[in-house]
This record gives sequence, C-alpha cells and structure tokens, in this order.
Amino acid sequence: MESFGYLMQGFAVALTPYNLLWCFIGVFLGTVIGILPGLGPAATIAMLLPLTFQMNPTSAVIMLAGIYYGSKYGGSTTSILLNVPGESASVVTCFDGYQMARQGRAGAALGVSAIASFIAGTFGVVGLMLVAPPLAKFALSFSSPEYFALMCLGLAMVVLLAGKSMIKALLAMMVGLWIAGMGTDLFSEASRFTFGHAELLDGVDFVVVAIGVFALGEVLGNMEIREGARMLPVPKGLRNLLPTLQDLKDCRFAFLNGSVVGFIIGVLPGAGSTIASFISYGIEKAVSRRPEKFGTGVPEGVAAPEGANNAETGGAMVPLLTLGIPGSGTTAILLAAFILWGLRPGPLMIQDNPTLFWGLVASMYVGNVMLLVLNLPLVPLFAQILRLPAYTLYPFIFGISIVGVYSVSGSLFDTWMLALFGLLGYAMRRLEYPSAPLILGFVLGDIMERALRQSLMMSQGDLTILVARPMSATMLFLAVLILLAPLFRKADALRVKAIAEGS
Amino acid sequence: MKFRPMCLLMAAAVAVLGAGPAAAQFKPTKPIEFMTHTGPGGGGDVFARGIAAAMEKEGLMPVRMQVVNKTGGGGATAMAYLVNEKKGDTHTIAVFTGLWFTNPIMRKEAKYTMKDLTPVVRLVLEPAMIAVKNDAPYKSLNEFIDAAKQSPGQLKQSAGSLGSRDWVVRQLLMTNTGASWAYISFPGGGERIAALLGGHVNMMVIEPQEAGEHIRAGNMRVIATVSEKRLPAFPDVPTIQEAGFNVPNVPQVRGIVAPPGIPPEAVAYWEDLFARFIKTASWQKYLSDNMFQDGYMRSAELIKFGDQFSETTREILKAGGVKVAR
Repeated sequence: MESFGYLMQGFAVALTPYNLLWCFIGVFLGTVIGILPGLGPAATIAMLLPLTFQMNPTSAVIMLAGIYYGSKYGGSTTSILLNVPGESASVVTCFDGYQMARQGRAGAALGVSAIASFIAGTFGVVGLMLVAPPLAKFALSFSSPEYFALMCLGLAMVVLLAGKSMIKALLAMMVGLWIAGMGTDLFSEASRFTFGHAELLDGVDFVVVAIGVFALGEVLGNMEIREGARMLPVPKGLRNLLPTLQDLKDCRFAFLNGSVVGFIIGVLPGAGSTIASFISYGIEKAVSRRPEKFGTGVPEGVAAPEGANNAETGGAMVPLLTLGIPGSGTTAILLAAFILWGLRPGPLMIQDNPTLFWGLVASMYVGNVMLLVLNLPLVPLFAQILRLPAYTLYPFIFGISIVGVYSVSGSLFDTWMLALFGLLGYAMRRLEYPSAPLILGFVLGDIMERALRQSLMMSQGDLTILVARPMSATMLFLAVLILLAPLFRKADALRVKAIAEGS
Repeated sequence: MKFRPMCLLMAAAVAVLGAGPAAAQFKPTKPIEFMTHTGPGGGGDVFARGIAAAMEKEGLMPVRMQVVNKTGGGGATAMAYLVNEKKGDTHTIAVFTGLWFTNPIMRKEAKYTMKDLTPVVRLVLEPAMIAVKNDAPYKSLNEFIDAAKQSPGQLKQSAGSLGSRDWVVRQLLMTNTGASWAYISFPGGGERIAALLGGHVNMMVIEPQEAGEHIRAGNMRVIATVSEKRLPAFPDVPTIQEAGFNVPNVPQVRGIVAPPGIPPEAVAYWEDLFARFIKTASWQKYLSDNMFQDGYMRSAELIKFGDQFSETTREILKAGGVKVAR
C-alpha cells in the first residue's frame, strides 16, 4: 500500500517534538475559542495568520488546522451547559445536550460529545486520507439542483423537530426562512427587509439569531418561572459525571451516522457543518426506536450532531487540499494562508508537497487524540459551572452572549438585534412554539433559495431540471417520504384502533 | 520584544533623512486602528493583516497597526463609522476596495460615499482572467463570443453578484458584441470554480493565482486577460483589447483611505510611508505571490481616479438595467 508508506512518513513529520507542540497549541486554542461563543475558528485563524509567516508551512498548517477541528470539540460545551451555541455548528447539540444538563447529566452529555467528536473526527481523517480524490470528483458533480434537493431534504426534517403542534413548527420554520431572506438579494442586488438600515444589508448573522433565541430566550423564560431558586443538580464524584456504558451503547449508531453524514456533507463546497449536524440529527431520530424521547435529553441526540460537525472538518479538507476550492469561511482563510506561505494550493498541491499533506493528515490523528485527552478531564470541571446560583449564572450567560455577538461584528446594532431575538425566543417559549424549526429554516433558507434560482437560471425557467437529474430526484423523493411519514403513522394508528374496536 | 528599539531607530532615521519637512510634522504616537469592512478571513482582512505584518517586519512604523473589522452593508457600516466616529482622527486608516465606490451608487441605505472620506493612496490593481474548462470547444475569446451568439442565452457564466467585476466584464462584452449569455451568481469563489470544473457552467472570470494551478493540472484553460497588459505568468494570453474587443478596462482596486477632516500633513505622512512600503521586499513578494499589479497613486490622483471610476461604473450599471441610488 503506497499511502501507508506516505502515512508513516507523515507521522515522522507530525511526531517531531516541534510539530507536536504546534499541534497541541492549535487544538488547545481551538478548544478555547470553541467554548467562547461568537468568536469562531475563521476569525482566530485570520488573526494568528501573520504570526505564522516566520514558521515553516507544515508546522503552521498543523497548528491552524488544529484550531479548526479543535473548535468543533469545544463548541458543544456551552451548548450543553448553558444552551448557548458556542459555534454555529453546535446549535443542534443544544436540543438534547441542554436537556441532559437540566436533568443533572451534563457530565454525561459532555463526555458523549467528546467521544463522538473523537470517533467522527478520526473517521473524517481516514476519509480524507483514503478517498479524497474520488470524493472530490463526486463533489464537483453536485450542481445547483442537487443542492436544492439536499436543502429540501434538510427542511423536511421539520417534521421530526416539530414537537406537539405541526402547525406551530411550520410557522416557526417560515419565520426562519423569512429571516434568512433579509439583506441583499444576490441575484438582483435588491435590498430585502432592511428597513433602511445599512447594517442589515448583509442579512442577520447566525450567531445573533441562535444565541438570542436559544440562550436569552431560555434565561428569560427561567427567570420568569423563578426556577432560579432551585439549582441544577450536579452529582458528586467523577464516576457519576462521565457517560455510562448504557449511554455509549445507545450512541453506537449515532457515532457511525454522525461520522458518515458529516464527512459526506463536509466534502460538498456549498453546504456546511450546521446542515450536516441537522441532517444527522434528523436521521438519528428517524431510525431511532424511541423517537419520542428526542429533545428531552437522549445521548444519541448529542452524539449524532457533534459527530457530524467534527467529521465535517475532515470532509471540508477534501476539496481544499485536492482541488484548492474552499467550501467554508474557515477553509477559505486556510487557502489564503497557503498562498501567503508560498505554497500553490490547487489540484497538484498534494503531489508537489507530499510532506505537508501527509504531515497534516498524521497530525490530525494525533490532534484528535490530544483533544480527547484534553477534553475528558475537563468534563467534571465544566460541569461545576452549573453549581452557580441563578443570580450569578444568568447574568453570566447574558454577559458571554453579548460579548460573543459583539466580537463577531464589532457593532452595537447586532447587540440590539440580539435583544430582539432574545425577546422572540422568550415569546416563542411562552406560546409554545418550538425554536429548532426556526433555526432550521434560517440555516437552510438562504442556500435553498439560491440553489433554486441558480437551477432555474441554468434551465431558463424549466422546473424539470430539479427532477431530471437522478441524484436530485432521489433526494427530493426522500424529502417527500419524510414529510408524509406522520400521515402514514396517523393512518396506521387509525387502522390499529379500528382493528381494536372491531375485535 | 527585541525589535522595538530597532524600529524606533529606523523610524527616527527615516524622519531625519527621508521625508521632507511637511511630512515630519505628523508622526503617529499611538497604535493605528487599521480598519477593513470584511470579517476575519475576507479579502480585505487578509490584505490588511498582510500589510500590518509586513510593516512590522520591515520596521517602517514607530507604532503597531491593529486590524479592526467593521463588517456589514457591503462596506457601508465601515464608511459610516469613519465619518461618524472617527472624523479628524489621524490614527485611523482603512482598506478600501472597488466596492466602496460601487456600493453607495447601488444602495440608498449607504449614507456616505468615498467623497465623504479622505482617499490616501491606491496600492494594487488586481488583474483577472477569463477561463473555460479544459475540454471546452472554445480556444479563444472570439470563439466563445461566436458560440454565445449562435445560441443566445444558452451559455452560462458562474460569477459573483450584480455590479461586481465579473458582471462588468460580461456587460461590456455583451454590449460590444451583441452576444448574450446567462449570469449565475454564487456567493463564494470556491463554488464558482466548482461549477466550472463540474461542467455546470461554461465560463468564469477568475483570479490569475487560482487559475494558474488549475491550468497546470490540466483542468482549465484561460482565453483572455482582464488588465491593461499581459501578465508575466501568462505571456501567451491576450488582453481583451488585444483579442479585438474595444471595451474600457474597469480595474479591481485596493488602497488606503482615512476619515474625513484629517490635516494635510497626516495625508502626506501616509503617502510617503506607503511609497517606501511598496518598495520593500515583503510587499514585492506579496504582489508576485498573488499576481497583483502595483497600482500606487497618491491622494490627489486617487481622487481623480475615484471620480472617473464611479462615473464609468454608474454608466455601466445603468446600461445593464441596475437601479442606481445616487
């Protein structure tokens, strides 16, 4: 096996003390910025970029990549503990992770998330190593109709996120789609729903919506019911803070699901890790034997999306390294870094710089192990945060939410928007509207609209382009199936009832 | 930090030997706020951080440059910030791009134009190339235009938004030749290239640095250069004008702008600083790595250039049916 020899050379590069140190610095920084809401890996890498000019490119890329995948590990921490998504990709982790924390199982949730991250992160690297070139070809075959179909498939997940009332879920999703439409229309340059504010020309930032609706909405709601007097239970003893064997058993399929879905969606330049985590959560719920328990704090509801957003980093490296095509903000800045270091990113980079590629791959194996070792002992430590009394914890959540949002844009306008979305989140809780469909609509709306309009421009208005291509037709068919599933279930229930009454 | 005394020494030497008496009157005394309208990792941001790092490495400034991101509104937020919060501040400068001229033309939400700010220097011109997939039947721009004429509206270009350089190039070529093809917007450069390499579109306007690698790998072919003259890396690829199309050149620019109301000495200081800066090895390497062209221009010239640039862009936008706000 040729690549095995290369991989050994890669380990020889990655395991030098100098590179090990940079790898550790990278994953450590990544964990930290992952934990802090707002500031993401793209911003951190951009800020550190000038410091890497003096380093050799292999060490530099090992460190910067470490920040990238390390941030995915850390992102789940605040989602689980405080319902504050640390990164956009970890918003799905809030659904079950925060519920687990409320039941005193924060440690288990954090542990499951670290293990899922490790398994899927490693899977992503294996994928990157073994199937990168053929997979890059697959990614190129994806055109706008396929992206539209993929987004439809994602949007169909609303059925699974609905909770009690489907109507309310659909309404929330519509609001999400509407918010996604704010800003400048890419195709006509028209401003939509900017209300004369230049700040809204670029649309609303994901962080503002997610932190507002989830974190602030939750805190406002809790303050009102004066739950604050009662502290969240945090069990004593290290053993009780880690996931049980049963938890891990429940997550068996989720580990695999998250790994595969995350990696494949990561390879597509136009999708992204938030979508990957939504879809893998949806799949997990669809095939689960206890779908009704999702959203109340099941470990597999944490493992699937956390796995997906970690496997996504390995996937996102595929088009970057094999084609020189960045698929996300973070990989775009890595691409800029390659140019600044004098490497020529593109289809021939692996061939030209085998040491760099294989050194990076090997360092990602090492880095994932480091992250697991780094994160697991932190679990009990972080879980202690919940021991804080409400009068300390709630202002603390407000504080980090505001700082998080301000750190992204540096604009006070966004802080006001955060307040607005906090009130929206609160109102939705009061009126029992689920917030997950809103986020789903918001995340998918923009790409979905774009893909549809691109498709129709390509076909000059002919709608059949959406179903004429086998891959998009398959995905659209699956989406319809998912949408109809509740009807089948209802019909089935009626049938069972009829039989019962008949006998 | 051991290079600090060195920096100071060099700055002092420069102040004594280099610039004239006018420039010596202003010297920054605290860190410079160096603003960009893109978020971390965006084009303007990488550009700003590249400059800040090179300035430090070359020891040209007595103080540090701190990059600040003011995103939003396609540059409108950053421009408003310079006017409203930084008026007369000699310790703030910002990176401008072509967008700072075109955005206010297109949007009524943008309250300020470049005329409300103090243009300082123009630094680079970014050339572009017209690329097709390697197995495309067109060997030259002429052949592409002919094919587009044969089946109007059938060929496709993957590109950015309306009003961007891709759009301007298409608009000028279409009006000049009577051909027409579809313009499909993608938000990210990566997606545009993926659409071309996947065979979903027929043509795109690409940055030469990116094109170089895809050509070397045999995936792509370039059929024309969008710049005043041919690029050293692509001596065989003619410019649009050389290919026989009489269209004006609308360059992609980047440079430095300051808040309104700063004294002329400060403008002179920045002009001289950047005049020395562009001669440094770090900057020359940056230009050649990215295949940019040196476009240095002092403030007075830049103001003239800006007026002309805005006027041309406005006309092209109007001719292309885009609503113009001012």
